[in-house]
Amino acid sequence: MIPSSPFLCVITDETICPVTLAENALKGGAAMIQLRHKTASGSQLYAWAVEIRKLCHQYQALCIINDRVDIALAIKADGVHLGQQDMGVRSARKLAGNKCLIGVSASSPQEALQAEKEGADYIGFGHIYPTLSKLKGYSPLGTDILQKTAALISLPIIAIGGVNAENAELLISSGASGIAVISAVSRSDNPSGASYELVCAINKKSHEKSL
Amino acid sequence: MRHKQKNQPPLPRLYLISNGNGNSDGGALLLEQLHLLTAFLPCIIQIREKKLEAKELMDLALKARAAKSSDKSLLLINERADIALAAGLDGVHLPEKACSAMALRTFAPGLIYGCSVHSALSLRIAEESGADYLLFGPVFDTPSKRKYGPPQGLENLEALCQATSLPVFAVGGINPENAARCIAKGAYGIAGISIFQDTTRFIKTIEQFNIYLNP
Repeated sequence: MIPSSPFLCVITDETICPVTLAENALKGGAAMIQLRHKTASGSQLYAWAVEIRKLCHQYQALCIINDRVDIALAIKADGVHLGQQDMGVRSARKLAGNKCLIGVSASSPQEALQAEKEGADYIGFGHIYPTLSKLKGYSPLGTDILQKTAALISLPIIAIGGVNAENAELLISSGASGIAVISAVSRSDNPSGASYELVCAINKKSHEKSL
Repeated sequence: MRHKQKNQPPLPRLYLISNGNGNSDGGALLLEQLHLLTAFLPCIIQIREKKLEAKELMDLALKARAAKSSDKSLLLINERADIALAAGLDGVHLPEKACSAMALRTFAPGLIYGCSVHSALSLRIAEESGADYLLFGPVFDTPSKRKYGPPQGLENLEALCQATSLPVFAVGGINPENAARCIAKGAYGIAGISIFQDTTRFIKTIEQFNIYLNP
C-alpha cells in the first residue's frame, strides 16, 4: 500500500552502495526505496534487492525495483517502477498480478493519464525542478503542471527532480502524495540526516532536533 | 530441469544468437533469419540485444515470436525472464553474472534456462541452479572475443563435457567444418552469431551443419 500521508521515496544511484544508502535513508524515515542501477549485473542487482527488501520490511517501508520486473518478482518486491522505455504497464501487470505495485515515470499530464489508464498504481512525475541527477532533454515541469496533473488523475503522484527540504512542502501542497530524491540523499555527507530533513519538510515538522 | 522433468522433446542441436545490432536494424536480420528457418532444422534462437531498452526488447520479442512458425524451434532471450514470460518465449539464456535460474524459476517455472559457463566454478553454479543446458566458449578464435584472451580450445570443451551431464553447446568461431570436432569432444550442439549473418548463404549453412549435427 502506498502511504496515505506525505512520504519520501529515496532512489539509489551509482555513486554509493545501494544497500548502505537504503539503510541510511530508512533510518531517516524514507517510506519507499527504489533500487535503480542501470549498469550492475543481474546477480548483483538480485543480491542488493534481497538485502534492501529485508531492510525495507524491518522499517515497514516499501521496496521497489526499477525496470527489472524479473528481479522484482524473484525477490517478491513490493513493487516495480517502469520508465517510458521499460516494459509496458499491461505486460508487467500480467506478470506481477495485483499484489505488486507498479509505478510509472511520467513527464507530462498525457503520460500520467496514459499510465493510469493502463493500470499503474502510482506515478513518478518530473522533473519538477532542474536536476543534476540525469541529463534531461526537456525543461523542468514546475509546480503548475504538477498541480494540473494531480487534478487530472486519481493515482498518487510522487514528485521528482530537484526536490529539496526548501521546496518539498510546496510539492505536497501542489498535489503530490510523496517526493522522490536521488542525489539530495545519495550525495549528502549524511544521507540519513538528509532523509530526515526531507521527511520533516513534507510533514511540516521541525527538524531542529537531530537523529 | 524442465526438460528432464516434463519429458520434453530433446533440445535442437543448432543454436543461433542474434548479433546485437537490433538497435540499428530494428531486428530486421533476426526476423529474416526466423523466416528462413521455418522449413529447416529445428534451432534454438537467442535474442541477445544488449543495446535495446526493455520496451524495444519486448517489441522485438513479440515480433520474433510471431515470425517463428516452427514449433520445433525454441525462442530464447538473453537474461530477461520477465520479457520471455510476457512475450510468450520459450526460455532465457543467462550470462554468468545474471540472476540465477533458481531465483527466476520461482515466478517463471515453465521456461527453459541456459547458462554460459567459462570455468569449473561457473559450471557448478549453473548445475546447482538447475540449468537446462550450457553454452561454452569461445572454443575457437573469434574477433569479437579476442579482448577476453585466447580461445578455450577443444581440450577445455572436452573437459567440460566430461564434467557434466547437461547438454553443452560450443560457441565461438564455429563453422560447418569444425562443428564435427566439437561434437566429437562431447558437445551436444553448436552455437553461432556471425556464421548465420549472411542470409544469402543461410540455408546452405544450416544444411551443412545438419550433416554433422544429425548424422
